[in-house]
Amino acid sequence: MPTVALQSLQPEFFDWEWLRENFLEEVWPAVIGHLYLSFVSVGIALVISLPLGVLVSRFRRLYTPVLFVTGFLFTIPSLALFAILVTVPGIGIGPTAAIIGLVSYSLLVLIRNVVTGIDSVAPETIDAARGMGLTNSQILLRVELPLALPVIVAGIRIATVTVIGIAVIGGFISAGGLGQLIFDGIDRNFPTLVLTGALMATVLAISADVALLVLERYMRPWARRARGAN
Amino acid sequence: MIEFRGVSKTYPGSERPVVNELSFEVPEGEVCVLVGPSGCGKTTSMRMVNRLIEPSEGQILINGEPNTSMSGTQLRRKIGYAIQQIGLFPHRTISENIGTVPGLVGWQKDRIKSRTEELLDLVGLDPDNYRDRYPAELSGGQQQRIGVARAMAADPPIMLMDEPFGAVDPITRERLQDEFLHIQDNIKKTIVFVTHDIDEAIRMGDKIAILKEGGILAQYNTPENILSAPNSDFVSSFVGSDRVLKRLSLTRVGDLDLEPPNGNAEGLPRLSNQMSLKDALSEMIGAGAERSVVVSGGSVLGSLTLDTIRQLSGKATK
Repeated sequence: MPTVALQSLQPEFFDWEWLRENFLEEVWPAVIGHLYLSFVSVGIALVISLPLGVLVSRFRRLYTPVLFVTGFLFTIPSLALFAILVTVPGIGIGPTAAIIGLVSYSLLVLIRNVVTGIDSVAPETIDAARGMGLTNSQILLRVELPLALPVIVAGIRIATVTVIGIAVIGGFISAGGLGQLIFDGIDRNFPTLVLTGALMATVLAISADVALLVLERYMRPWARRARGAN
Repeated sequence: MIEFRGVSKTYPGSERPVVNELSFEVPEGEVCVLVGPSGCGKTTSMRMVNRLIEPSEGQILINGEPNTSMSGTQLRRKIGYAIQQIGLFPHRTISENIGTVPGLVGWQKDRIKSRTEELLDLVGLDPDNYRDRYPAELSGGQQQRIGVARAMAADPPIMLMDEPFGAVDPITRERLQDEFLHIQDNIKKTIVFVTHDIDEAIRMGDKIAILKEGGILAQYNTPENILSAPNSDFVSSFVGSDRVLKRLSLTRVGDLDLEPPNGNAEGLPRLSNQMSLKDALSEMIGAGAERSVVVSGGSVLGSLTLDTIRQLSGKATK
């Protein structure tokens, strides 16, 4: 058995015994905490980005200032942003600061993809919709957003993968999640904890990437089938 | 009936109108073709009927009521709309595309379904084969058929068609035109049809409105009258120097009072009664014959002489 071999080779570097005994109590809650941080952040960011993206696609003049602000947020180093947020009265240490930070990192990608997705709808499709008597909100909900959805999901994919990565830094401000595991491991000089946290974060990021990629494909049955057309 | 009353359109920031004091009537059940060079405002004029564009001056009456008597979206649901770029919804199946307007105006599912099948049959696409396909799986010609079917879906009395057969090759276009004329014979919609192609205008129109640059109506009449009596140099150059031949193309051999078949028909060209006079003339000149025999199926209907055609075209040039 490879586990036994590894264990006997490097007993104090990676402690399989510890992992087996503490997985449910220490590792699993951290995984759940990490997923919570990531998905709540992307969810909140999406709730902000969808209406804002639609607004920008209607009022083009807003695009430059919106890109400027969200682009600025995106460039702040994550550790610095978390540190600043922790000092804000009413936020302090914990998941709230991390979530605010993660939301602000997601905005740029999400808003840009919402706008790009809506822009990618052919003008004649919209003209035909209007000419047949769809109202503006029907055009948005039945034509523009469904057609933009694959591009929006692509944005969600990038945002999610990025956020799962950055959320690790949240461990530094006691936000919970896998970062907590890693920082504890460093503090306690216990490599098993560090490696488990890092590995699980990687697995989460890759799984989210693949799952959302599949979803993205699934969102456009019309394009999948068209390839088979003669 | 659609009536343009002194309709003008000037875009903000521009001095020159794109449509200028347009006044004419499209009688019920007729096809009115708006034709002219690019920049003549023909598409703009059409789009003012269903208020995709609002006129700056004047009004458009539909059956005596100004088209502003209801909201734009209400109005547009009652007017079929087909455009050159088709604009099918790529994410909706063919039957969902066709069912768009019926769905908007609240038809029951069963009714939409049977109407969709009926329309697919009407435009010559097998419902079982095409109903659940996506637009991208269809050829250009098939997509244009769906575009027209979708415009007719809720059985609107009025239809607007902006070069609806413009995105296909000439052979397919001619076939679609024929099919559509055949359908129109039965459904008798009031249609505003936009094209830049005078031949298409002559083929499709009960009336033709020729527009010139700046959106000015140059002439409004039947194809026959426009070809026989163009009212200006602009119109006669727009319809082309072959207008006599174009006029002959409007008449079928079988519609004439033919001379009784006489003498020896040996070696004379035999023409179908469905052939246009233009094609008949071409056949006779090609065969070097003064006289031809007109047949329907196997039986001889009568004979046609070059003199008869000459007399008819003589009228055209006066």
